[in-house]
Amino acid sequence: MSSLSNLLLPAVLFFALGCIARLIKSDLRFPPDLAKVLSIYLLMAIGLHGGHELAKADLVIALNSIMWALILGFTLPIIGYLILLATRKVNPMDAAAISAHYGSVSAGTFLTAIAYLDSAGVDYESYPLIMLAVMESPAIIVGLILAAKARQSLRTDKSGLSPDGGTAGVNADDNNGGFGGLMRDALTNGSVVILIGSMIIGAISMPSGMEKLFPFIDDIFMGVLCLFLFEMGMVAARRLGDFRQVGWLLAAFGIVMPLIGGMVGVLVGYYILDFSVGGATLVAVLGSSASYIAVPPAMRLAVPEANPSFYLTLSLGITFPFNVMIGIPLYHGVVQSLAA
Amino acid sequence: MVTLYPEKLINIITNDALEDKLVDSFRKYGVSGYTILRARGAGSSGRQADMTGFDANILVKVIMPEERMQNLLDSLERKIHKGYHLTVFITDIEVMTPGKFDKTLS
Repeated sequence: MSSLSNLLLPAVLFFALGCIARLIKSDLRFPPDLAKVLSIYLLMAIGLHGGHELAKADLVIALNSIMWALILGFTLPIIGYLILLATRKVNPMDAAAISAHYGSVSAGTFLTAIAYLDSAGVDYESYPLIMLAVMESPAIIVGLILAAKARQSLRTDKSGLSPDGGTAGVNADDNNGGFGGLMRDALTNGSVVILIGSMIIGAISMPSGMEKLFPFIDDIFMGVLCLFLFEMGMVAARRLGDFRQVGWLLAAFGIVMPLIGGMVGVLVGYYILDFSVGGATLVAVLGSSASYIAVPPAMRLAVPEANPSFYLTLSLGITFPFNVMIGIPLYHGVVQSLAA
Repeated sequence: MVTLYPEKLINIITNDALEDKLVDSFRKYGVSGYTILRARGAGSSGRQADMTGFDANILVKVIMPEERMQNLLDSLERKIHKGYHLTVFITDIEVMTPGKFDKTLS
């Protein structure tokens, strides 16, 4: 079965090894910041590779993909927010911060999906890569808007305290960076800069120069991905320990939300963008994955009222392992059955 | 005998996402310098021991004369009221070169 073949990918096995290492309390420790270094490499390599491919791409399809990436990035957090509020387990601030994670994307999940498709010999378009770059930011913006609305309604609930609205007094000093500043942060986020920059370099570089890079961006890519997932396995297993704090209903959200996002992604990728089975699988992965690099610091800054252990546990401890081990082959299977 | 002069040491433990924000307040409220260290530990916001570097804690140290630190402390208090997770504690210290803490960061 396809799900078994996913579990037998070296990268996924290393992810499992990382989880096991934590669970048996091994003294295994990676050097500080290694995951950060590896993710810089992974984004750079995939960006160069994708940019090289995209140089031959169709501009209309590319623009259409970007538009749908924006639509996904703006709508998925709203869906997540409404579901979270319906569970009545979190306050609107937490709901806003968590749903921003689910509208944004996880490059680690996307790369695992690429490893899965490569090993299954499935072709895929390079457009989902631009979507990956585009989808980092919109959800952060939606999260900020939802949080600002929630903050406003909380403030009016506590009315009487500040008869004249009170907004100016609290926020005038100690600038929250302002909405513009946070927008700028969302768009100049490190992962976005690496990804888009490498794509442009890949697209405009001389082909002969790019060939020299292939050992760096192609040959060792899967090995680096294994190392990255190895460490992420340890991180995820540690986060899973915070499961009790989160509660089963929220934990269920960490599995239901990627399924919803994945299905929306299948529809967009397969029916609207008319991608191949591989390409539509990648769009599904984009829809289902939750950010754990770009969004958490943005939420810490902009929505300090939200509890970080909720969103980090959900995105790193539940959704990421779920997608890596079960989600990817599942979405692929769904697209395959639609295509059949 | 070396002469020692009293100063205050403001210590702040927080998430590294807040570093830029803190540094902005330091400049605004006349700090003469600051030192930032990576930190790990556990507390009211759970365990902060991430070695990935994606979500790390920092320990920020600022030396200041007592009479100048009130504005900075007020701004830290406002941040805490907004929901930011800051652990702030102040200790009495003695320094050899008080002149270093008179100039503000430009």
